[in-house]
Amino acid sequence: MHDIGLVNLALILLGALILILGSGVWIAVTLGLIGFIAMWLTTSVPIGSVLATTVWSASASWTLAALPLFIWMGEILFRTRLSEEMFRGLSPWLQWLPGRLVHVNVVGCGIFAAVSGSSAATCATIGKIALPELEKRGYDPGISLGSLAGSGTLGLLIPPSIPMVVYAVTANVSVLQVFLGGFLPGLLVMALYSGYIILWSMLNPSKIPPRDPPMSFRRKLAESTKLIPCLLLILAVFLALVFGFATATECAAWGVAGALLLAWWSGTLNRKTFFESVMSATRLTCMIMFILAGAAYTTAAMAYTGIPAALAEWVKGQHLTPSMLALYLSIMYIILGCLIDGISMIVLTAVVVLPMVQQAGLDLIWFGVYLVIHVEMAQITPPVGFNLFVLQNMSGRDTLTVAKAAFPFFILLLAAVFIITEFPQIVLLLPQLAFPPS
Amino acid sequence: QTKWNLPAAYPADNPHSENLALFAKDVAAATGDKLQITVHANASLFKAPDIKRAVQTGQVQIGEVLMSLHENEDPIYGVDVVPFLATSFAESKKLWAASRSAVEKKLASQGMMLLFAVPWAPQGIYAKKDLNSVEDMKGLKWRAYNVGTARIGELVGAQSVTVQAAELAQALATGVVNAFMTSAATGYDSKAWESVDHFYDTQAWIPKNMTFVNKAAFDALDKPTQDALLKAAAAAETRGWKMWEDKSGWYLDQLKAKGMKVQAPSPQLQAGLKKIGEQLTADWLKKAGAGGEAVIAAYKK
Amino acid sequence: MRVFLDRLYLFSGYAAGAFLILIFGIMMFMSVGRQFGFNIPAGDDFASWCMAAMAFLGLAHTFKKGEIIRVGLVVEQFTGRKRWALEVLALTIATAFTLYFTWHAVTMTYDSWRFNDMAQGVLSVPLWIPQIGYASGLLILAIALVDEMVDVLRGNKPTYEKEPPSSPDEFVERVASGGAG
Ligand code: NA
Ligand code: NA
Repeated sequence: MHDIGLVNLALILLGALILILGSGVWIAVTLGLIGFIAMWLTTSVPIGSVLATTVWSASASWTLAALPLFIWMGEILFRTRLSEEMFRGLSPWLQWLPGRLVHVNVVGCGIFAAVSGSSAATCATIGKIALPELEKRGYDPGISLGSLAGSGTLGLLIPPSIPMVVYAVTANVSVLQVFLGGFLPGLLVMALYSGYIILWSMLNPSKIPPRDPPMSFRRKLAESTKLIPCLLLILAVFLALVFGFATATECAAWGVAGALLLAWWSGTLNRKTFFESVMSATRLTCMIMFILAGAAYTTAAMAYTGIPAALAEWVKGQHLTPSMLALYLSIMYIILGCLIDGISMIVLTAVVVLPMVQQAGLDLIWFGVYLVIHVEMAQITPPVGFNLFVLQNMSGRDTLTVAKAAFPFFILLLAAVFIITEFPQIVLLLPQLAFPPS
Repeated sequence: QTKWNLPAAYPADNPHSENLALFAKDVAAATGDKLQITVHANASLFKAPDIKRAVQTGQVQIGEVLMSLHENEDPIYGVDVVPFLATSFAESKKLWAASRSAVEKKLASQGMMLLFAVPWAPQGIYAKKDLNSVEDMKGLKWRAYNVGTARIGELVGAQSVTVQAAELAQALATGVVNAFMTSAATGYDSKAWESVDHFYDTQAWIPKNMTFVNKAAFDALDKPTQDALLKAAAAAETRGWKMWEDKSGWYLDQLKAKGMKVQAPSPQLQAGLKKIGEQLTADWLKKAGAGGEAVIAAYKK
Repeated sequence: MRVFLDRLYLFSGYAAGAFLILIFGIMMFMSVGRQFGFNIPAGDDFASWCMAAMAFLGLAHTFKKGEIIRVGLVVEQFTGRKRWALEVLALTIATAFTLYFTWHAVTMTYDSWRFNDMAQGVLSVPLWIPQIGYASGLLILAIALVDEMVDVLRGNKPTYEKEPPSSPDEFVERVASGGAG
């Protein structure tokens, strides 16, 4: 056991991360190496065994199995004409709004978030449908990538949500109440995103393609019927969840079944498209899972080094007022969120942070939603941000380019944190209506 | 100075985790900080299924896990989840005394050493409707998560449903599941009253968490440190049993206070369950062979 | 040899795809079966194992297709000899790590067999069986990396490299065929 001090260790790891990533080593491998270095410097346990065990444990996961299914669903829909038609259906209604079809990203992710509990799946599914359509129509890639990265994270805030389940178990609070608590903040974040898109398009009119010629109301309605199949699909999956036909994870399988049915009905399902959709979904999943494997191992290595717990202890040592505590924790979670994935961030800091939060008199349901918004930020901050990876894979543009495009949306998430800190009722209203405090 | 990592699966404010934290403190105090144990609660280092493997291969030196999680590997780990074999803390203690050396032997054969075991609260049935006899359990959507609960479901004619713990709350709210077995404590922690309203305190079995060390790591300690560790372990076992005995009544009161109908099973239901228990004990004995029979014989003496 | 290796990557990719379809089948059967009183014992375990098998068996195929991502900003600044050296460096690091990882995944699987480790759910399944997918997926990835390394050392262009799309049409085309990275 060597003693080099946690601050030095953190600096060494950060330096190594930048160096290895910069030299073009694959992201998953880089993360694995960082974990290796961290453990090699601080522990005397068999590093390779930890690597093999934690990666196996992280990938043989039931809840994770929803991810490839949702991705597959997106691949199937993408190969029907339905995704294109969905755009044609929405288009007449969004023409008057500055930013036009960019809002499809926000609304599409917001709706899809009601059936998917994962950010990467939301981003991948809507991205597969929306990115090519926006690109074809000449929208600025910056705003379409950025808004997709940001909106994909709604999968975590709008129930169902995997990190909310993890939080609820960790903090011993009701999953259902945390779910309800995320609903209004989810709408708030959507409003902030759309507001920003409107503002941005008014400032950059040249980057948005010109308006389509106006249509009669009747034409608009006729065009909108094209939306029906996709909406029916989402509705069916949602109802399967609500009426107990499927658990939150099985929902994903219903989504695939529905997409296959739609593809068959629209006549685009054949051996070739089926095969391509499976292989495309497989590759995207493998790419994400490989990084997730590296991240799972780094997370375990971090637990061995004790860096996250030490950071939380340091915040605890500052003896802060509730709002200052929220501010300090925000800073801490943003730093951690750059490097480790969101769910790990919750469990690694919980032991120190939760008692601190309770002591400060903050509501644990509120804190769960606050924390999940930070997990959302972690999805879009480099170097480790899963939405960035999904979009890099889809668009061929570099992680950092996508991260730059997503930066305004990161700021908007921060704004949402500020707003719910000032007005906690936005979070607490629905849980308290459903379960009146005794 | 030696530093050990102790992965555990339950949240930091669970009595088991609290007991572990006290144990770590005792060890540090008794050895003058020569042996420091960091408790990683809440599955933050390893998840429950991997903890035993992690200790066995030296990835950590010490760990805590629900003993019955490993019953598929050896039936002796599942002796405390045989339904209606030991239904009170007193009986459970007696069963532990009868089975302890067998568990120790099994762990030793895998390069590990048992330190102590602490019980959970007794297991009862949560349901959305009245259960007056086992016939009422027919057709329930019954959560089956291990061999025992799957067998019970089968024997009462319930429909076994596979739902992971993480999805249980949603599954109950939406009706995927409408009955399951766990302790009053776990029901309290997971806010069971939000989706079910009946709790039958059947005291079906009392599972235990065991804390164990890697033998090589233990042997590497000097004699005084080893002694201090064993002494703190004995104290933790006594303290843990007392914690849960004191607290199990409190958990029942809390469920009542939250508006749940908490009741003892009717004589009819109890009789029916007892019969199922006999069947399951026979099942277990068949799997556990001569070693198992010796344990049960010692327990029944 | 070339044909054999390419088939190895491709067919393990197909196996990964088959596991995806299997996950779908298991989940649908669990969900729909519940309405009719069917239950797959330990269905959650089986789906989890399919997930792990899928994630790792598809790696080599995904790598060869250039869809395992990296930060290319610095590397892409260079051309010619310097670029080649950088690619060799990145490949060396990745190959070494993957070999190390593979060795330990194989050891873990072997240990599961040696320790008689069992699944902890309703069904008692020896854990080494599902772990085979994990270990062999990594092994195939390690082979692919060594293969790539030899190829690049001989002076060939890396197969994982793709030019960024130059027009929206090409972009759409790329997205259609899978990833564009
Ligand atoms: Na969601
Ligand atoms: Na991040």
